[in-house]
Amino acid sequence: MFDIDVLLPDFWDILGAVPLTLAMAFAIFILSTIIGSLFAMVEYRRIPVLRELVVAYKVAFKGVPMVVVIFLAYYGLPSTLQFLSSLVGVEYNGHSTPNWVTLIVALTACVAAFQAEVVKGALNSFDTGQSDAAYSLGYRKNQLFRRVMLPQVIVAAIPDLANSFMVIMKALSLGFAIEVVDIFAQSQLTAALNFYYLEAFLVAVVIYMVIAYIVTQIADRLEGALRVRT
Amino acid sequence: MDLSIMIPELLSALPLTLAITFTAMVAGFVLALIATTFRVRRIPVISQLADLYVSYARSVPVVLQLFVAFYGLPVLVGVFGIEDFVSPTIAAMLGLSLYHGGYLSEVMRPAYLAVERGQHDAADSLGYTFGHKLVRVLAPQAVHIALPGYGNSIIYLIHNVALVMYIGAADVMATAHLVMERDYNQYQFETYLVLAVLYSALCLVAWLIVRSFELRSAKFASSATPARTTLMASV
Repeated sequence: MFDIDVLLPDFWDILGAVPLTLAMAFAIFILSTIIGSLFAMVEYRRIPVLRELVVAYKVAFKGVPMVVVIFLAYYGLPSTLQFLSSLVGVEYNGHSTPNWVTLIVALTACVAAFQAEVVKGALNSFDTGQSDAAYSLGYRKNQLFRRVMLPQVIVAAIPDLANSFMVIMKALSLGFAIEVVDIFAQSQLTAALNFYYLEAFLVAVVIYMVIAYIVTQIADRLEGALRVRT
Repeated sequence: MDLSIMIPELLSALPLTLAITFTAMVAGFVLALIATTFRVRRIPVISQLADLYVSYARSVPVVLQLFVAFYGLPVLVGVFGIEDFVSPTIAAMLGLSLYHGGYLSEVMRPAYLAVERGQHDAADSLGYTFGHKLVRVLAPQAVHIALPGYGNSIIYLIHNVALVMYIGAADVMATAHLVMERDYNQYQFETYLVLAVLYSALCLVAWLIVRSFELRSAKFASSATPARTTLMASV
């Protein structure tokens, strides 16, 4: 039923998918953080029309499961890209878009809605007394942002950002439905070759838990090193 | 594509989706209560095991948890010498219960810890037993703190029920696939749009129910700072 001998070869097999998974996770993490920060700034500055649009976007992407979003992107993105490129007069076959690009676009769209929430929370944790103090010292608005706000907001957001990185790692596992090979998909492929399903999946479980442990450790160390002692 | 045919067909699979959701909700709640009790009471070995369980539920993708339940449960059942009764639906219920329990425990524990220390001391000085203290003093306050997080966890549970089709349970997503294939895969994008609306509606209903409880529990609110609720999605 359960064979211990296959664990080690399975482990080396599945480990091969880790670098690619991490690379995709980093790409999505950076893209979604940038988009989410823009959304959060829109809400923080209370820009009239854009604010309502951002709220609508967040509601839409929080209510729909990520699998459905991934499939929507898979079937909708190629024709959309082709249409958009034909508008600007570029010849591009949308259906040649690689699947990993589709996955990255879909997950970025999903995670951006949550990143906006994370960044907004961090911005709201900023003490307004400090901005008053900075203004009284004659700081301009972008000086205040760069020198007072940003260093504190980044540190406040670290735990949530680490959490969202893990969410992205996990969300990439849905990519197996559109043939993107990450840790989970690799464990499925490995299992399909030797029919030891449970063993391969348990190896994947261990790999995911170890990565989660490392990510939380890094985040804790980073937060401890950066937090201003008061 | 004929919506008047497709929507009733999709809705016919809704009872299974809801059954899995409710089982996972109830079983997950019980599991979360047990895990949280062990985690806040710091019993040597059991607490570490509870921590390990919670980190399994939170750091492993739900698809993988479902597959582990699907392939692991028959092995586990075989060890105890019981005849294999595992169907995809049962495996889905088990996998999602484990996932939901771990996730919910991480909502309950901060809520419990967010109740002020003084409340514990006051209850202790009045001679309450742990059970009485929990039911009469701590729980009403913790419930109010935990409800937003609980609402989130229910929404993510509904999202993740969409994944049970991968282990072969015939839920709404699987039915949608059948519908699509019958139409020679012409209307995939449209079908997924319908699914998106359906799941949004389910989440909206769940959110409204939790929201009404939140408003009713507001009278138990204490001045304590609210617990940090995890806003992140969970897949």
